[in-house]
Amino acid sequence: MRDKKFFVAGLSMVAFVMIVAAGWANWANRRHMAEMQAQREMQPMVMGDMPGMGQGSGASGDAGEMVSPMVGRQAANFTLTDVSGKKVSLADYKGKAVQLNFWATWCAPCKIETPWLAELEKQYKPKGFEILGVSFDDLDMNDAAKLKSETADIARSAQQLGVNYPVLLDGDAISKQYGDPAVFPTSFFVNRQGKIVAATMGLTSKDDLENNIKKALGTGE
Amino acid sequence: MSVWVSAMLALALAAGQQNPFANFLNDAGKKSDAKPDEAVRYLYPEQVSVPAGKLTPVELHFEVKSGLHINSHAPKTKDLIPTTITLPTDAGLKLSGVEFPAGKDFLLPVAGAPGGGDHLSVYTGDFTVRGMMTAARGEHLVQAKLRYQACDNRACMPPHTIPVVLTVTAQ
Repeated sequence: MRDKKFFVAGLSMVAFVMIVAAGWANWANRRHMAEMQAQREMQPMVMGDMPGMGQGSGASGDAGEMVSPMVGRQAANFTLTDVSGKKVSLADYKGKAVQLNFWATWCAPCKIETPWLAELEKQYKPKGFEILGVSFDDLDMNDAAKLKSETADIARSAQQLGVNYPVLLDGDAISKQYGDPAVFPTSFFVNRQGKIVAATMGLTSKDDLENNIKKALGTGE
Repeated sequence: MSVWVSAMLALALAAGQQNPFANFLNDAGKKSDAKPDEAVRYLYPEQVSVPAGKLTPVELHFEVKSGLHINSHAPKTKDLIPTTITLPTDAGLKLSGVEFPAGKDFLLPVAGAPGGGDHLSVYTGDFTVRGMMTAARGEHLVQAKLRYQACDNRACMPPHTIPVVLTVTAQ
């Protein structure tokens, strides 16, 4: 009788340990699966959710490489106002290779890319290359004082980053024409015939940017 | 005793099929209305019971999606957009002394950029906003808003606002 009690008690103990072990293993497995899922979801969220854009690549060094349906299309003409109040149209740059760089003052990766762009613009300008910076900072269009202050902030930020090319305001106004870019920086490289020959989404390397500039100039691969 | 052992074994089998913390996870994170593509989601609480008319601490829990960061409430530079929370005015409910956690120091890991750019103050993973709540007797539907601006190491998304909805019962 006593042996039987010991047996039952032992069995109960084993069952209890099994409950804890099975529960723990299941929880750990689910947690692992959730982490894997989060990793899978992360990249498309930032790099691949841009409507009209193709598959974004990983953050392993080739983030800017992408296949965009915008590539191969004629770049849509637009007219925007620059930070000095001057009207600027893409059509003004007919016959030149142009990089449209969509950025914002609140975008930390843009602050890394912009000084590279300033250098590249200086280097390739004599060959017929121009950059148009297009700011996506919010603007209070109905409040003249605020608009003036916001414009001054954008101009100051661009100046601090060494920008020596036109910085245009209100990128939202032309967003749809360029596939509603959802992340910044985003660039479109337009060749001398007005065709988009390359696009980058997210921070890429200075070498990648230079290769795309060469493509736009018709001297790259 | 044998009945008890059978019950234990049945439980053990069930435990293998179900997460023992499933209820906790459901309450904490899966009943949110957040869209799957949102960088930040409000986790909990969905319901709070407080003593009527008495100043009561409240904690709002959020989660930043893995691999992303958002600026803290106090970014290091003026041009970066801070994380903020706004509450609708409700005659019967007041939230005061809102405290955001301190941000983590973060430097973009970018090769070829001297210094990797600016140091940032960010939130990643879970973070909690604390405040003191006073509510008049009754039930209050709080519809607050959290505004943030999210990035990963290579790209940023425009600032975005998510709803923070909870029911406060003051007794």
